[in-house]
Amino acid sequence: MRPVSATPETTTVERPEADEAVLLEVPWITLVWDDPVNLMSYVAFVFTDYFGYSKSKASKLMLQVHNEGKAVVSTGSREEMERDVQAMHGYGLWATLQKSDT
Amino acid sequence: MTQFRSRRRGGVYAALPPYAATLIVDLTRQLIELLSDGEAIEPVGSDPLEAMLDFAAPREVPEDPALRRLLPSAAPDDEDVAAEFRRFTERSLREAKVADAAVVLSSLGEVAEGDTDDIEFELDAEAARSWMRCLTDLRLTLAERLGVTAEDEDFWEGLPPDDTRLPVYEIYGWLGYLLESLIDAVRR
Repeated sequence: MRPVSATPETTTVERPEADEAVLLEVPWITLVWDDPVNLMSYVAFVFTDYFGYSKSKASKLMLQVHNEGKAVVSTGSREEMERDVQAMHGYGLWATLQKSDT
Repeated sequence: MTQFRSRRRGGVYAALPPYAATLIVDLTRQLIELLSDGEAIEPVGSDPLEAMLDFAAPREVPEDPALRRLLPSAAPDDEDVAAEFRRFTERSLREAKVADAAVVLSSLGEVAEGDTDDIEFELDAEAARSWMRCLTDLRLTLAERLGVTAEDEDFWEGLPPDDTRLPVYEIYGWLGYLLESLIDAVRR
């Protein structure tokens, strides 16, 4: 039988970058990039459907992607942005995450 | 002709000619094969610890350009963020895409050779989204194989009739039309 250790063992593996982002409240962002394939109607639909944005907000963001090449579609912790990027990739949109500049 | 029509509670009714259904089944099976390439899509086991200790989880960017478009880098300027994202999400993303493709195959069922009647089926709100994602994955893959770029419609439409890329481009366009029709039906 294994003796009881005097010092408690660490049982969980922390992800320091993510924790740091939460503690310092440095937000991360999800960007969606323009691509030559996805239909404008589809991109707007995904923004309403996944993020729950209003039709006008979704369509504004879609036009920003189309005209400026990219748009910030969500802001939050690194984990939240990883979830959003994964969902966007699921829908076939080209999304990336990064620390917010501001 | 509209392929998809709206039904109650976000559902959709669809009718596709047999040749169209056969084509979608064929492309979707190829997509599943592509997504399964070089990667075990079945989880190692249901034990979360075992899954965490699975060091085979992907960290590298796929070599096939189509696969690279379906499973893109989440942070092209930050290798660490990109590698960690891929390690934690790529397998489940592949599985989700294969699951969407499986929904498409199951709603079309068996299309027998020589069928002349339309293949009719209904999709609930969830299945309609699986269809949208799968049609998009098919379009992305065909576009990658063809080399579609922004605002190059004139080039494709001007291809000589005997160019082998023409039928592929026509299928790509048709899938876009189907997707548009599905979005309209779901929004109504």
